[in-house]
Amino acid sequence: MTSLEQLQKDFVEMLSQDSPKFEAHIAAQSGLAPQQRAEIYQNAYRIRLTKVLEQDHEMLGLYLGDDLFEEMVKGYLAIYPSCAPSLREFGNRLPHFLSSQSPFKEHGILQEIALFERLLLRAFDAADSDTLQFTQLQSIQQTSWPNIQFRLHPSVQLLTCHYPAVESWQALKSEQSPPSPENTTERYWIIAREQDKRTGFYALSKCHYECLKSIQSGLPFGFVCETAAQYTDSEEQGMMQVMELLQKGIELGWLQSNIELLQA
Amino acid sequence: MSNTPHPYIGFGLGLRTCYFEEILATQPNVDWFEIISENYFVDGGKPWHYLDQIKEQYPIVMHGVSMSIGSTSDINFDYLGNLKKTIDRVQPMWISDHLCFSSLGDFNSHDLLPMPYTEEAIDHLAQRLNIVQDYLQRPLILENVSSYLTYQASQMSEWEFLSELHSRTQCRYLLDINNIYVSARNHEFEPETFLDAIPQQAIAQIHLAGHSDFGSHIIDTHDQPICDQVWRLFENFAKTRGPINTMIERDDNFPPFSELMAELDHARAIAPESWSVHDFA
Repeated sequence: MTSLEQLQKDFVEMLSQDSPKFEAHIAAQSGLAPQQRAEIYQNAYRIRLTKVLEQDHEMLGLYLGDDLFEEMVKGYLAIYPSCAPSLREFGNRLPHFLSSQSPFKEHGILQEIALFERLLLRAFDAADSDTLQFTQLQSIQQTSWPNIQFRLHPSVQLLTCHYPAVESWQALKSEQSPPSPENTTERYWIIAREQDKRTGFYALSKCHYECLKSIQSGLPFGFVCETAAQYTDSEEQGMMQVMELLQKGIELGWLQSNIELLQA
Repeated sequence: MSNTPHPYIGFGLGLRTCYFEEILATQPNVDWFEIISENYFVDGGKPWHYLDQIKEQYPIVMHGVSMSIGSTSDINFDYLGNLKKTIDRVQPMWISDHLCFSSLGDFNSHDLLPMPYTEEAIDHLAQRLNIVQDYLQRPLILENVSSYLTYQASQMSEWEFLSELHSRTQCRYLLDINNIYVSARNHEFEPETFLDAIPQQAIAQIHLAGHSDFGSHIIDTHDQPICDQVWRLFENFAKTRGPINTMIERDDNFPPFSELMAELDHARAIAPESWSVHDFA
C-alpha cells in the first residue's frame, strides 16, 4: 500500500468508524489540536448526511420526533454508509432499515412512510415521456383492442400499504395529528408526476391497482380486462372499471403515448 | 487533449432550484449560470424541465462535486458515463470539479477531502486527469478546496502544489477565493501569497462565496454573504490580472435572488474596466 493509499484509508476509517489512526497524519499547528481538526471533518460528514435524510424524509422526521430520528440516522449511517456519488441515493435503503432494525421494525408504519417518501422522490425526477391522448384511442380498431399494450408513464409508482402511512403523511403535511397506526385493511396508491411537473398521489381501488400492475408487467389490454373481472361481479363491470381507469389515467398522465399492437 | 484557453464570458451565478422560476420570469442580467453536474444525473422531471429552458437563454457551465479525482480507488467509469451523458445534453462552456478525494472504494464521504501536497499526489493526479480528460474528450478544470488540517506528509505549500501540477499537466484552475481565505485563516498563511503564485494562464474561473466564522477556525459553508475580506482579496487580485470568468456561489441558506444579483453587480463594479463583458461581445 502506498503512503497516499494509507492516508486515504485512514481518513475514511476515521469518518466511518471513528478510527483514531488518522490523527497521526495531521501536522501539529497552532490553534486547533489534530483531534479537533479531524472532528471538523467527522462532524461535517454526519451533518451532511443527516440533512439529506431530513430533507428527503421530512414527514417521517416529524412522525418520529427529534430523538428517534437522530437514533435512526445514527443506526442507518453505521449500517449503510453512503456508497453512491449522488446524495439522492443515500436514503434508498432506509425503508429496509426501518423494517429490519429495532426499535423501528416493531412499528410497520415507519417503513411504509419512508417508502412512500422514496417513491415521491423517484417520481419527481423520473424520465419524461409523452402521455396518452384520448384521440389515440379513437384510431384503434375494435378488433385490435385485446392486443393493445399500454405502458405506464416512467414516473408512475404503485404502493400497497398495510398501515395508514399515506394518511399520516398527509396529516403531518397539513399540521394535523396522524391517525392511529393500526394494521388495517390494505390500501393502494399511485404516485406520479402531473402535467405541471408536480408529484401527485391518489388512492386506488384494489381492482384499479391490479389493472395497473398488469399494465406494468406488459400484459395486453385483454388480460387487463380479465384482471379487472376477477375483482368485480361480472366481465361487463370489469370492463367498465378498466374504461374508468383509462379515462382517469389519460386525464392524469399515468400512461405513455407509445401504445403497441401485439401480435395475437 | 486540447488546452486552448477557455473563453471569457463574464460574471455568472450558481443555478439553484429555488431560483428557476424567477430566472425564467425575469431574465436577469447574468452572463452565464453554473449548475451542479450531479443534480442532473436524473432522467427527467423538474430539474431538466427548467434547465432545458434556461440553457436556451444563457451559457451554462458544469461544476461537479463527486468525481473524486484524487482517490486512490479505481476511476469510477459509471460516474464518468453519467457525466458524459449530461455534458452531451447540456453542451456546457466548460466543466470543473474539485482537486480532492471524496470517495474510497464503496465509501462516499460527500465531502471535499484535501490531498497531501506531495510529489506522489502530483503523479497520481496527473495520471488520473489524463484518463478523465481522454474519456470526456475535454479539459477538466480543478477547484482548490478549503481545508482544516495540514498533513505531516506534505512536502510543499498548496500553491506550490497547484503550480507544479499545472506545469506538469497544463491543467487550469477554478480559484475559489473564499476557499483560499478559509484555508489561509485555518493555517495562518497570507492568501495573497497563494493568489500571486498562480499564473494567469492557469486560471479559468473564480468562485466568490461566504463562510461561517467560529473564531478559532472558519468553515467553508457557502451559506453566507461574501465577507469584506474576500471582496478585498478579489478586488486586489483582479487589478493585477486580465479578465477571468467570475461567479457568485451560494449553496445553502438561499437569500432572495435580488441579494445574489447585488453581489454579482458588486463583483462587476469592483473588477477592472477591462473585465467588462461588453469588451468581448
